[in-house]
Amino acid sequence: MSRKQTPLRPYFEKMAEIGKELREGEVRRSQANVELVREQEEIIAKEILRVKNAGIPAEKIHQRGGMTIHDRLEYLVDAGTWSPLHSLYNPNDNVEGCTGVVNGIGKIEGKWAVIIGFDNKVMAGAWIAGQAENILMVTDMAKRLNVPLVWLTNCSGVKLMEQETVYAGRRSSGAPFYRHADLNHLGIPILNGIYGTNPAGGGYQGISPTILLAHDNANIAVGGAGIVGGMNPKGYIDEEAAQALIEGTKNFNGKAPGRVETHFDQTAYFREAHDTEQGVLDGIKDYMRMMPAYDPVMFRVAEPAEPRLAVEDLNLLLPANQKRPYDAIQILSRLTDNSEFMEYRPEYGREVFTGIAKIDGFPVAFIGNQQGVFPGYPDYANGEYPGVGGKHYREGLIKQGEFVTLCGRDNLPIVWLQDTTGIDVGDLAEEAELLALGQSLVYSIEQTELSMMCVVLRKGTAAAHYIMCGPQANNNNAFTLGTPLTEINVMHGETAAAASYARRLVKESEAGNDLAPTLEKMNQMIQDYKDKSQPAYCAKSGFVDEIVSLTDLRKYIQAFTGANYQNPKSITPVHQMLLPRIIKG
Amino acid sequence: MPELIAPIAGNVWKILVAVGDKVELDDELVILEALKMETPIYCDDAGTVTEIKVKEGDAVNEEDVLIVIG
Repeated sequence: MSRKQTPLRPYFEKMAEIGKELREGEVRRSQANVELVREQEEIIAKEILRVKNAGIPAEKIHQRGGMTIHDRLEYLVDAGTWSPLHSLYNPNDNVEGCTGVVNGIGKIEGKWAVIIGFDNKVMAGAWIAGQAENILMVTDMAKRLNVPLVWLTNCSGVKLMEQETVYAGRRSSGAPFYRHADLNHLGIPILNGIYGTNPAGGGYQGISPTILLAHDNANIAVGGAGIVGGMNPKGYIDEEAAQALIEGTKNFNGKAPGRVETHFDQTAYFREAHDTEQGVLDGIKDYMRMMPAYDPVMFRVAEPAEPRLAVEDLNLLLPANQKRPYDAIQILSRLTDNSEFMEYRPEYGREVFTGIAKIDGFPVAFIGNQQGVFPGYPDYANGEYPGVGGKHYREGLIKQGEFVTLCGRDNLPIVWLQDTTGIDVGDLAEEAELLALGQSLVYSIEQTELSMMCVVLRKGTAAAHYIMCGPQANNNNAFTLGTPLTEINVMHGETAAAASYARRLVKESEAGNDLAPTLEKMNQMIQDYKDKSQPAYCAKSGFVDEIVSLTDLRKYIQAFTGANYQNPKSITPVHQMLLPRIIKG
Repeated sequence: MPELIAPIAGNVWKILVAVGDKVELDDELVILEALKMETPIYCDDAGTVTEIKVKEGDAVNEEDVLIVIG
């Protein structure tokens, strides 16, 4: 008789159950919290709708017989798997209201891919400010997760009136071509579905991926027809030149270069040409079926399972009032398979939890801040002050550093659940080596080859936001999510105002001057910090890659986990893992 | 008689009930402020508030009785 089982069954099949059901009273008193979460969700939803409607109306594209980027994604991506990123990203506050690309992670034909396309409603997919950075975040994600990058190219090239915002610099709109070369070099395929007119930058956007599939009306070229015919040697436009331009434009009937009859029939750059837009997407699906992907069974340690406790509880459990503590393990229990968790050193470094859980049956590490007050902790404070959740102390930093190092050894992807006010400060903290231990955690992260994702549940503050694998961990952080309750700033606004104006207040007070003007400045600063820490602002400025409803967090964690285990570059045989044995003792 | 105890030292920031109020399990009765954090204190038993031993602004120590419920 043949027998089969998942690996290290005694460790992984059934872990310790965490979390508990909410009592009636807890549910009752948290209803106001649910409303506060919904308020923020509505703000985000309105913003997302505004961005989706950017540019010309979708109906105009439809009247021309075309598809919008959203139609293309809808057709291409497996139902229920699309997890958008950078939806509100617009750091330069472009008049277009967006950066002109739509991207995220999703499955195509059952396989995870990072997917990005130009928004063809916005200046026919022009290069606009902030777009290159958006694209670089996406190419970095494909590199980090080692999954295919799928492009839906429809790029009219530089928005010529603002060329200085996209053309020059190390991370400008030409950089993605190098990233494409880098991905190809690393063996990460880039599939490119090409639509519309793609001159100059659009041409290199078209040519740089691995596999090119074109719509019959598409073209890619070094330059467009307008540039070919529009060279003017005078260096300025006078009446005569204007008349020539008018006549030239009226009489221009040339076709854009680089059409399908050139790049399919002549050069054969295009692997496929399709007479329908859907045909291109079907071609991408065909290629996605060829992409390398392990069967999940290869790496699963248990059957996938939903959390035992209701995910909807998250809206009740995470307080909108940033000054309120909560039970972080209750949050975790609504995210992991069966609400189970194998905790690493729970008695040491109480301000953070570390351990292994399962997501869709895959082993995944979690690290997060505990909340509340810890009397008698940290030891080095000698009772002068108690530990507070969200802060980092010596033991917690050591624990995180050693846990990350062991995760690197065991190839466990890490999900960080961040809600931090910073690292402890003062002479005692310095003597306790917190400065070095913070950087030591950064070093530990950088030393691994692991993919990590970060969720800023509420606060991301000071250096603690960096050291807990914030977006600054360029080589490891695949993406960072915010929630409707996220608030990211280098310090709280009131603290910043005090730091900035305390000396001035002393000076004005000693001089017997009116304090009102200084107080007004301080309060303006506090309001400014508040405005620029809100979830929508965090998403627009790139503090996070997306604001996600609390009830959607697990979906993103599943996407991250599934992508990570699709085609890993390094494998630790599960039966040779060390961490579960260390935890068991 | 059931008593509401301060779990940490801090200042009484808000008292959300008055003597004679009927309270239920898990109702929020008092909010302490300490270390820039609000610590809500919830009712462990249903009953009626018979005595409030502190007032807003008071400093309390860990284990101090805040409210008595009959």
